[in-house]
Amino acid sequence: MKFIGIVGTNAKKSYNRQLLTFMQQHFAAKAEIEILELANVPMFDESDDQSESPVIQEFVQKIDAADGVIIATPEHNHSIPSALKSIIEWLSFKLHPLDGKPVMIVGASYSVQGSSRAQLHLRQVLDAPGVNASVMPGSEFLLGRAQTAFDAQGQLKSAGTIDFLDSCFAKFMKFTNLVTALAAPTAVKYQPGTYDVTATGHNGALPMSVTLSDDRIESIKIDTSSETKGIADVAFKRIPQEIIDGQTLAVDAISGASVTSNGVINGVAQAVKQAGANPDELKKRRQTVTAPQASVTDITTDVVVVGAGGAGLTAAAKVLQAGRNVLVLEKFPAVGGNTVRAGGPMNAADPDWQHQFDAIPGEKHTLKEITEIDEATIDQDYLPDFRALKGQIQAYLTENEDQRGYLFDSILLHRIQTYLGGKRTDLNGNKIYGQYDLVKVLTDHALESVKWLEKIGVDFDKSQVTMPVGAIWRRGHKPMGDLGFAYIQALQPFVTKHGGRLMTETTVKELTTTDGKVDGLIAEGPKHEKVVVHAKAVILASGGFAANTKMLQKYNTYWTSIDDDIQTTNSPAMTGDGIRLGTSVGADLVGMGFSQMMPVSDPDTGELFSGLQVPPQNYVMVNQAGKRFVNEYGSRDELTQAAIDNGSLFYLIADDAIKATAYNTSQAKIDQQVAAGTLFRADTLTDLAQQLNMDPAVLTKTVNDYNSYVDAGEDPEFHKNAFDLKVAVAPFYATPRKPATHHTMGGLKIDTGAHVLNTDGAAIDGLYAAGEVAGGIHAGNRLGGNSLADIFTFGRIAAGSALQDELTVTEF
Amino acid sequence: MKLVGIVGTNATRSTNRQLLQYMQQHFAKQATIEIAEISGLPAFDEPEDRTAPAAVQALSDQIAAADGVIFATPEYDHSIPAVLKSAIEWLSYTTRPLISKPVMIVGASNGSLGTSRAQAHLRQILEAPELKALVMPNVEYLLGHSLQAFDAAGNLKDATKAAELADDFTAFMAFVDLTAKITSANKFVEKNQQFSWSQVADGRDL
Ligand SMILES: Cc1cc2nc3c(=O)[nH]c(=O)nc-3n(C[C@H](O)[C@H](O)[C@H](O)COP(=O)(O)OP(=O)(O)OC[C@H]3O[C@@H](n4cnc5c(N)ncnc54)[C@H](O)[C@@H]3O)c2cc1C
Ligand SMILES: Cc1cc2nc3c(=O)[nH]c(=O)nc-3n(C[C@H](O)[C@H](O)[C@H](O)COP(=O)(O)O)c2cc1C
Repeated sequence: MKFIGIVGTNAKKSYNRQLLTFMQQHFAAKAEIEILELANVPMFDESDDQSESPVIQEFVQKIDAADGVIIATPEHNHSIPSALKSIIEWLSFKLHPLDGKPVMIVGASYSVQGSSRAQLHLRQVLDAPGVNASVMPGSEFLLGRAQTAFDAQGQLKSAGTIDFLDSCFAKFMKFTNLVTALAAPTAVKYQPGTYDVTATGHNGALPMSVTLSDDRIESIKIDTSSETKGIADVAFKRIPQEIIDGQTLAVDAISGASVTSNGVINGVAQAVKQAGANPDELKKRRQTVTAPQASVTDITTDVVVVGAGGAGLTAAAKVLQAGRNVLVLEKFPAVGGNTVRAGGPMNAADPDWQHQFDAIPGEKHTLKEITEIDEATIDQDYLPDFRALKGQIQAYLTENEDQRGYLFDSILLHRIQTYLGGKRTDLNGNKIYGQYDLVKVLTDHALESVKWLEKIGVDFDKSQVTMPVGAIWRRGHKPMGDLGFAYIQALQPFVTKHGGRLMTETTVKELTTTDGKVDGLIAEGPKHEKVVVHAKAVILASGGFAANTKMLQKYNTYWTSIDDDIQTTNSPAMTGDGIRLGTSVGADLVGMGFSQMMPVSDPDTGELFSGLQVPPQNYVMVNQAGKRFVNEYGSRDELTQAAIDNGSLFYLIADDAIKATAYNTSQAKIDQQVAAGTLFRADTLTDLAQQLNMDPAVLTKTVNDYNSYVDAGEDPEFHKNAFDLKVAVAPFYATPRKPATHHTMGGLKIDTGAHVLNTDGAAIDGLYAAGEVAGGIHAGNRLGGNSLADIFTFGRIAAGSALQDELTVTEF
Repeated sequence: MKLVGIVGTNATRSTNRQLLQYMQQHFAKQATIEIAEISGLPAFDEPEDRTAPAAVQALSDQIAAADGVIFATPEYDHSIPAVLKSAIEWLSYTTRPLISKPVMIVGASNGSLGTSRAQAHLRQILEAPELKALVMPNVEYLLGHSLQAFDAAGNLKDATKAAELADDFTAFMAFVDLTAKITSANKFVEKNQQFSWSQVADGRDL
């Protein structure tokens, strides 16, 4: 028999350690006892999951492989030590290795009763549902007056004590056999048939149909139409597969699609229940934890790409087009990264196409305003382009003086708008704007990227020219189909069809170098196996770090503060891995202090479309005191900073008429959110104010003032640019909002060839970067639609440079 | 009256923190409640010199300067979280500011029992000889299903739970006043700031 002994303290000197060591030797002929220490176990933190760290994994795997566990606990303050509590919390959080494990408790302490109170607490703790250990009843082994109990050789002095320990241990061995027999899986019987159930997915109802035979789950069919394409798909494929393969409900949710995963699991559980079986039995059928595979996969390829988002897949496609090998490593189960979440349109000036569309009111005014900008405020490097653009605009305005005219655009307008849109000053007075050479490359080659994507298989809707939110100008090329997913839907099959190798759930951990040249990397696969890659070039395309709050806070120089519990619109994969990889080989960083927030996000989930999300002309934003605090038509960063200055949480006030203009909702959704307390509704403003802890007089005055500005067509307080509806018709609504992290403009410093530069400004041999992982282009603020233009353009360039530098390919 | 409310978890989103924020706001007229976080404290590891790290000292000073302490504890595995236990171990091992301090325990958890077991443990812990806090008897404020308990404005949705908390808080204020009278008159109040179990082991048992 094999047992794990846990020393229940992190103290350097411990009688409990001595007791376990004694047991290890004393019982060596009967059982093997391996002793584990707590000294390196981090404090449990729900918000910083370390279940996968080597320390916790060691406990998980060793406990899993053992027949039972012996815990030796001291008593601290009448309970168990925090260090012992901490490891048990880790072992009850994401992973549950103690579930059903036979456990024996022993304890040594100074006082006469030994550790009786601590042992009692420990029993209760081990009995909690998340732990669910099988603790041996009775046989409390308490070693009192521990300081006098051992001799100099570490042997227990008292023969009576040893006898008692012998009898407790013999009983534990028997108990272990008993528990193991009990744990053998029980057969589950179903009433055969097909059961239609409705689970809850991320976007609402998830209708499913589950077919059960007498003793098996045979098939799971899901109506996937309402879930988000590109994000939920892997959950639909993998979860049913794992349930059927293992005939179990103990399957892990998929990172990035956990709500959908759990929805599917719950749906099958409902069906099982309807068929007269107990789903808990199936939840107990855990697949055994897979020990880390000692095996090392060794791969040699021409180019290896880190991250299968838009930039990464583009680079991979480009390498394949040149007839070279490529390997793409992706950390998540699904490819696509943030690119599948994007709104869709990408910016590229295409005057020939745009000229077919009429200009709309206001556009000429915007152009005229550009010509009126004081040249002294334009930075030297942009001045020649700015003057040339002025000439273009003046010619256009003269030509169309007496007519409505067509939609104007030019590469220069795109360039200057990217420059002006990104120009910001941070809290330390440092000014930033997009690096001229990079912005020039972006704007010169964006249209080429559109054309290239068309060849790969992306269809663009030529019948309309759109202005993505926050884009300033109508130059968006919108793909047909599902928003950002449309790009990935074309790129991924292109890469696999042309022989590219794609490994998902494989996280790149380190870059390898020889004599200063990056020549490969080390990654970790889904079963913790090591993947070693040798390549002539490494392209980092791992996205930004908007889902890494600690990293945002560390670098932030723009926002006065970033809350610890701030939410994000991003995939949880966006943790800045590529930036860490780059700096580990000496890369320089640029603009790291600047991040973009989405000001009107759900305070709990970071999502945009919850509550009543209405067009900005109908926004009435009030702070927690019930006062307006900003021009609701302001830019994203103006709204965000104003929100932060007002305590982050604020409300969008709406009435029944404004409600009708909300996006992506329904009366049922609204009622459900009101019931859940995430949306507020009241028949009077007074009542609404009370629900929000506001002074009713303040909120009422705010609304009355706002309504009078709508009537007057002018807002003397905050100068809101456009209004539509008043807040007048009951019931009234308040939607809580908070800024959420959205985009990180800063990143690895690159040159126009997407070479990663070191702190001396020289290219790091063999290393390239493209997409949100790189910095320097969007500077202080990214325009809507410019990121897609960036990733497809620099993704192609990175591959081109790698081919040219390392693979002597010059034609591509 | 000045009180310290200790958030019994290091989680960035905590309904126990919300509960203390609610108390801070709603009982502002009756008492000042400072909210203290424990996430920045190091993990307790029995340092030989028994001196409190700066963060522990700061928490200790905050407690010493207060008339009473409110612990808001989640329930992790039927007991208090390790991180709260660690904070208490520090206090008991170094500066002992909780001696004779009036304490109110509240707790929010997402189970239906709302931390009843964790509160019972916390009570036993705080009454251990190395802590000797005066935990208010007879009152147990349990907030179950805590993830659904607050609306987005931070109010308790259930009016009876809100009224119960107001009653318990009034009782605690009376308890603080009462203990202030007793402890100032009590010459047996523990003065030893360096309690240790090894001393006890050589003498009497507790
Ligand atoms: C909700 C939302 C809406 C948006 N809307 C728009 C829009 O309308 N227009 C626009 O232009 N931009 C928009 N953006 C921004 C844009 O989507 C992103 O900036 C862009 O998709 C980034 O592309 P990328 O290829 O650099 O990274 P991503 O597409 O994010 O891909 C990075 C990939 O790398 C993987 N990865 C990370 N670390 C590792 C590692 N260590 N090992 C292996 N793989 C790793 C990730 O899992 C991910 O799949 C939006 C962003 C969001 C979040
Ligand atoms: C490791 C762990 C163990 C838990 N054990 C229990 C438990 O025994 N009883 C319970 O009611 N809730 C338990 N919970 C759920 C908590 O009640 C829930 O996380 C709650 O939100 C904690 O309070 P907080 O909001 O202040 O963090 C556990 C949570 C974790 C992370």
